[in-house]
Amino acid sequence: MNSYLAGFLLGLLIIAAYYISGEGLGSSGGYRDCVIATIHDVAPSYAEKNSFIAPRLQAGHSPSHTFLVYLLLGVIFGSIISAVLYGRLKWSIGKAPHITNKKRLYLALIGGILWGIGTQLGRGCTSGLVLSGMAVNSLSGYIGLVGIFGAGFVFAYIFKSIWIKTSKNKK
Amino acid sequence: MEEQMIQHTERLFQTTREIEGLYPHVHIWGWPIATYLFLGGLAAGILLFATLYYLKGKENDMPFTVKIAPIFTFIIISIGLMLLVYDLHHKLYVWRLFMTFRIESPMSWGAWTLVAVSILSLLWPLSYIDDIEAYLHERGWKKLDKITRFIRNLEHNWLIPRFIILTFRKYRKFFAYILLFLSIILGIYTGILLSAFNAHPLWNNPILGPLFLTSGVSTGSAFVMWLSNNKKERRLMSTIDMALIATELFFIIHMIMGMQAGPEAFKQAAHLFLGGEFTVIFWVVFVGMGLVLPFILEALELKGFHIPPALPAILVLIGGYIFRMIIVYAGQMSAYPF
Repeated sequence: MNSYLAGFLLGLLIIAAYYISGEGLGSSGGYRDCVIATIHDVAPSYAEKNSFIAPRLQAGHSPSHTFLVYLLLGVIFGSIISAVLYGRLKWSIGKAPHITNKKRLYLALIGGILWGIGTQLGRGCTSGLVLSGMAVNSLSGYIGLVGIFGAGFVFAYIFKSIWIKTSKNKK
Repeated sequence: MEEQMIQHTERLFQTTREIEGLYPHVHIWGWPIATYLFLGGLAAGILLFATLYYLKGKENDMPFTVKIAPIFTFIIISIGLMLLVYDLHHKLYVWRLFMTFRIESPMSWGAWTLVAVSILSLLWPLSYIDDIEAYLHERGWKKLDKITRFIRNLEHNWLIPRFIILTFRKYRKFFAYILLFLSIILGIYTGILLSAFNAHPLWNNPILGPLFLTSGVSTGSAFVMWLSNNKKERRLMSTIDMALIATELFFIIHMIMGMQAGPEAFKQAAHLFLGGEFTVIFWVVFVGMGLVLPFILEALELKGFHIPPALPAILVLIGGYIFRMIIVYAGQMSAYPF
């Protein structure tokens, strides 16, 4: 699909999400609610004392009643159906050919941890903070956009050897 | 000290609300029962297909369904039984269920059926031990050789196991009929066990038995579809599973329509799924992801799209498990209004 058209459709999707659920799109919030509910089930006394978890517990967000959790499920299954229709559904690890699978997975784990920390510090991820934030003309959305793309350029320069062959890792 | 002892042996209740697990609604059964109901249905489904296709003479066309899949049933039933005992408050009194038979009690039917099914489900694969060994070699799983060799030794060198297995082989057709019948009872009993509770309107409806049977057989077909390496077998199971999912949807709609048309208590029970506490998880997770989505994926596969068989199979299995959890928890919440 044309990526400009896809972006336009994404914009329409945000309007629909605000109209139907009263919430924007976001992928980190759903994870956070699941993690909080799990911690509360496993260690209730710890969860009730923790300054990050406790206020969110009192707000009473059960993951089974949270829009963002179902949004995540929809994303997973929607992408599966789309992959089936275009014949792309198979197990694979997306990586550059010159690094090993193990290295790729470790790096993905580290990246995921950083993503988790970052989204909670920034109160949202690319979709929750920037996409949904900008859709309601919120200043933090624009600042988030600058921050994410700016940091993205810097990080891409530092870590480009993971993805492409540079003069350093050429043998 | 003496006072403490009295506290342990005797308690005074001022109101029934002080009894644990009764207020604000009954909460006696939890995940072990739901898991057991799922495992019982799954085992019933696998055995139903194994015996049915054996009786249809497809034993060599569908080796996984008839010979290999029943190996798992004994393990599945054993785990289920362990969960049942775990759920008992007085675990050592479990033998009392086997000192009596009450024709009007589904639990009594279930207890005896489980004993018979677990014995037959162990003997069924044992009687196919040669074919199982050949199948494992064909798939390159030689690590299990030790186990198959041990069982063959048992059969060749020990008189009683040899006699039992030979008798089973000789009368396999007869046992297949019995096991087919018992697997249907096992599948339907998991639902009737709940519908016998007339104080819980959600459980107390006649569709629950057939619905649990259909769901159990559907999970059984998903299990076979997932693990079989025979293309024909997979295709057949996938088609059967689609029909079963359609039947399940039909039952669910009629169950809710029936409750909506019933007295107030039944309307309230239906409301648990129509705006109440379980609405989203029931419609989105169970009906959407556990029935409709695997149906779509299976239909796409039959149309020629490439889909890993594990995907619809795992969705059906998860859906079946979530369905048991929802019914067990929601059923205890549904009650006659005060």
